[in-house]
Amino acid sequence: MSNTQQVDEVPLTQRIRENPRPLAVWLAMGAVLIALEFGAVFGFAADLLSVVISLIPGNPLPGVVSFLESLGSSIPTLLSRETIPNQGYFNGSGYENTFLGLEPMLAWLVRVVLVYLYAFLFLGWVWNGYVRFRRHYRYADWTPRDDVVDRLRSHQWGQFGLIVVFLFVILAVFAPALGPTTVEANILNPYSHTVQFWNADAGAVQEVTVGQANLQSGSQGSGTQNVGPWTYDDFGRFHPFGTTTNGKDMFTFLATGARISLSIAISTMVISGFIALALAMVTAYYKGLADLLVVVSSDSIQALPQLMLLILLMVVFNQTWLSEFYDGALLMVMIFVFGYWPFLWRAIRGPALQIAEEEWIDAAKSFGQRPWVIMKKHMAPYVLGYLLIYTSMSLGGIIIAVAGLSYLGLGINPPTPEWGRIISDGQPYVATQSWHISLIPGILITLIVTGFNAMGDGIRDAIDPKSAKGEGDGNTEAVAGGSGA
Amino acid sequence: MSKQTAMESEATATTGETLVEVRNLKKYYEGGGMFGGDPVKAVDGVSFDIQKGETLGLVGESGCGKTTLGRTLVQLEDATDGEIHFDGRDITSISGEELKAWRQDTQMVFQDPESSLNDRMTVGEIVREPLDVHDWKTPQERRARVRELLETVGLREEHYYRYPHQFSGGQRQRIGIARALALEPDFIVLDEPVSALDVSVQAKVLNLLEDLQNEFGLTYLFIAHDLAVVRHICDRVAVMYLGNIMELGPADDLFDSPSNPYTHALLSAIPEPDPTSKRDRITLRGTPPSPRDPPEGCPFSTRCPVKIKPEEYRDLDDELWTRIEVLREVIRERSRAERSLSDRARELLGMETRYSSIEEIREEVFGDVAVPSRVETHIDEVADYVRAGKEAEARRYLFEEFGSECDYERPELYDVDGVQSVSLCHRHQSEHEEPATVYERQLSASGSK
Repeated sequence: MSNTQQVDEVPLTQRIRENPRPLAVWLAMGAVLIALEFGAVFGFAADLLSVVISLIPGNPLPGVVSFLESLGSSIPTLLSRETIPNQGYFNGSGYENTFLGLEPMLAWLVRVVLVYLYAFLFLGWVWNGYVRFRRHYRYADWTPRDDVVDRLRSHQWGQFGLIVVFLFVILAVFAPALGPTTVEANILNPYSHTVQFWNADAGAVQEVTVGQANLQSGSQGSGTQNVGPWTYDDFGRFHPFGTTTNGKDMFTFLATGARISLSIAISTMVISGFIALALAMVTAYYKGLADLLVVVSSDSIQALPQLMLLILLMVVFNQTWLSEFYDGALLMVMIFVFGYWPFLWRAIRGPALQIAEEEWIDAAKSFGQRPWVIMKKHMAPYVLGYLLIYTSMSLGGIIIAVAGLSYLGLGINPPTPEWGRIISDGQPYVATQSWHISLIPGILITLIVTGFNAMGDGIRDAIDPKSAKGEGDGNTEAVAGGSGA
Repeated sequence: MSKQTAMESEATATTGETLVEVRNLKKYYEGGGMFGGDPVKAVDGVSFDIQKGETLGLVGESGCGKTTLGRTLVQLEDATDGEIHFDGRDITSISGEELKAWRQDTQMVFQDPESSLNDRMTVGEIVREPLDVHDWKTPQERRARVRELLETVGLREEHYYRYPHQFSGGQRQRIGIARALALEPDFIVLDEPVSALDVSVQAKVLNLLEDLQNEFGLTYLFIAHDLAVVRHICDRVAVMYLGNIMELGPADDLFDSPSNPYTHALLSAIPEPDPTSKRDRITLRGTPPSPRDPPEGCPFSTRCPVKIKPEEYRDLDDELWTRIEVLREVIRERSRAERSLSDRARELLGMETRYSSIEEIREEVFGDVAVPSRVETHIDEVADYVRAGKEAEARRYLFEEFGSECDYERPELYDVDGVQSVSLCHRHQSEHEEPATVYERQLSASGSK
């Protein structure tokens, strides 16, 4: 489906020149949104640049990078911890160092709400851009893609999924700003940072290292050793999701962990889904030897004990440059892809073979369509629905599998936050008052899997013109010109 | 529609120039089993010509290879052997860009309009696809062409943006026809284009096809099993049986005075709209033989009611002769049937198998007719073989004793006297009686009983 209706007549640039106002308004809105977060954008660019420069042998420009980074952090951004701080302390009569003197919980909440508000405004801005393009600049007043969008717009379950996925993506992207504290201060180097707190017994503000404070605010199930969700610990620190077994803030842990857990899970499913789809198309189209080869290799992979394979490969590649990349996440993704594509391919092989038998494939062959276009245009859309469901359902499994490996000391190693590990850490306390340690990340995994599943459902229905949703006259026949035939 | 007796088949002027020339075309499918096995001979050496501008009908019962023949003609299947000359060029040997270029000239309309259109694409995209594939002019001109095509096949321009599932079967078939017409082909294979449609819609689509032929000078190969439809639309008709063309001739000649014994049988199966008319139907016994194991001689020899008897049995009663043929059929089926391990074990233990014993078969086949002793001895011999479990030998023995030239020798396509047809039957040789004569005698004999 290509929007070929807009190829000819007036080119896009000319249509914009004739009516620049909608585009200008849209760009102005975007400029305001980006200005609010300019520091973060700049910092991100500087980070990216430093990565690129560090890849150049000899590290030629160390000064430039650090200068850029410090410049980035000096630009005020609306949604940073510095603009809306929540880590203050009670001084006997009121709060100091918190946003507007609010208590830490409220200051944190304000920041979270603002971050999500901003994210949704940004989403709205992108959507508005599409609508403006459709209304003011597109040559054709209708393309098949419009139907896809319209069907998605009336698909509430799909929208639910989309929103859930979006919430998690924002959680991962804005993790440093969302956490009540930072990974650096709370998790990685707790003894290099201090907190001030109001000691009611002494009646004075005292200072203690974060590590010491953590030691006394862990959740270990027994009477005094628990800091549950939505409570303060003894040092006046607010914990929206409670603390971990060793007193670290769970929300900070989970928000940062979302980055690595989600990127491993999503990239594994996207890559293995892509491999599975490509192989399914090739095997269903050519059958015979191609099919046999893939059957044999996928069966061989599936016949291997998966855990064994994972451990083996992790150990083999442990000392190579692959394992250094992104805390070893890249290596894990590669290993999981290797283990998962046969499962996905098996799941969609049947539907693919079925589609390959349809007469429209023969019709396309008979006028000389290229094989790969036939696979892409005439076969893949019918198999994609199945694939979306299988991949979204397997996401949770990957997160848990990463946890299993971490548990064996092979996955993402502590102290780097990662969802699976916190679940296994909390397992002994499930039946105690420290139930939150395992339960909250578990719920989050369930939620994200449901979200992806719902989104997959929505997309599947959206790309199928036959699905009843979104088309009022879906099944009514078009009345042909008089003939009725 | 079956009352379309007044025909406009002359409406299309055939120029007499040959467009498609098929010579000894064969399409075998190799056995899928581990040990190969015999190939399925879907098309087993057919030769015919199609003139420019004519409609050649291809009829036959299910599984006779007519669709395979059509698919081979548009190169959806590779021919096993033989040649297809298209405008003088052998297209079985071309490939790559040359083949792609040739595909513009030949298109196909498929049987099932439900399956032949991709439901995920709009009607416009479907009809446009062949144009895109062959980079036909500019995108603007392609869109204009698609709109024009939609009008040509009786749809409306605005249907461009509709989806196929919003259309009825007849409309979908019109979309399929528009797609086939997009590249202005010379030759279109119509694979049962109306058999999936309601009767009321069939006539409209057929008329559309005829109109298009007149307008664009198209040449059709019309595959069908509905004989009335074929008579309505075709200039010439080829009758297929078991991968062979049994008879080929002008539609009127073929329908009014069929030459081949199989054509006779096929035509007698057309229901007569007049309930009072007394027509004698020829009922064929048995089922067509497996295309893996076709008869050595004439493909129709296993079921032919007018098969030539061998010299020494000419005087036998027709009834008895039929019984002998039935026995041969039973033995043939048995020798072909695969026996499971448990069947073999039962046989060895002398237990009852699912195959009836030869005595029962004899009783059933010959029970109520008098069998002369010279035939009896041979049947005894056969029974001995069967009892010993040697079905293949029994079959061979019957073949040698009761077989005639119909069994031994493959007939040629004979020019039939009086009409312009060719027919595949030994009876057209001058020393034998014509099939029609024998049929008449048989029918009058059964009528007088």
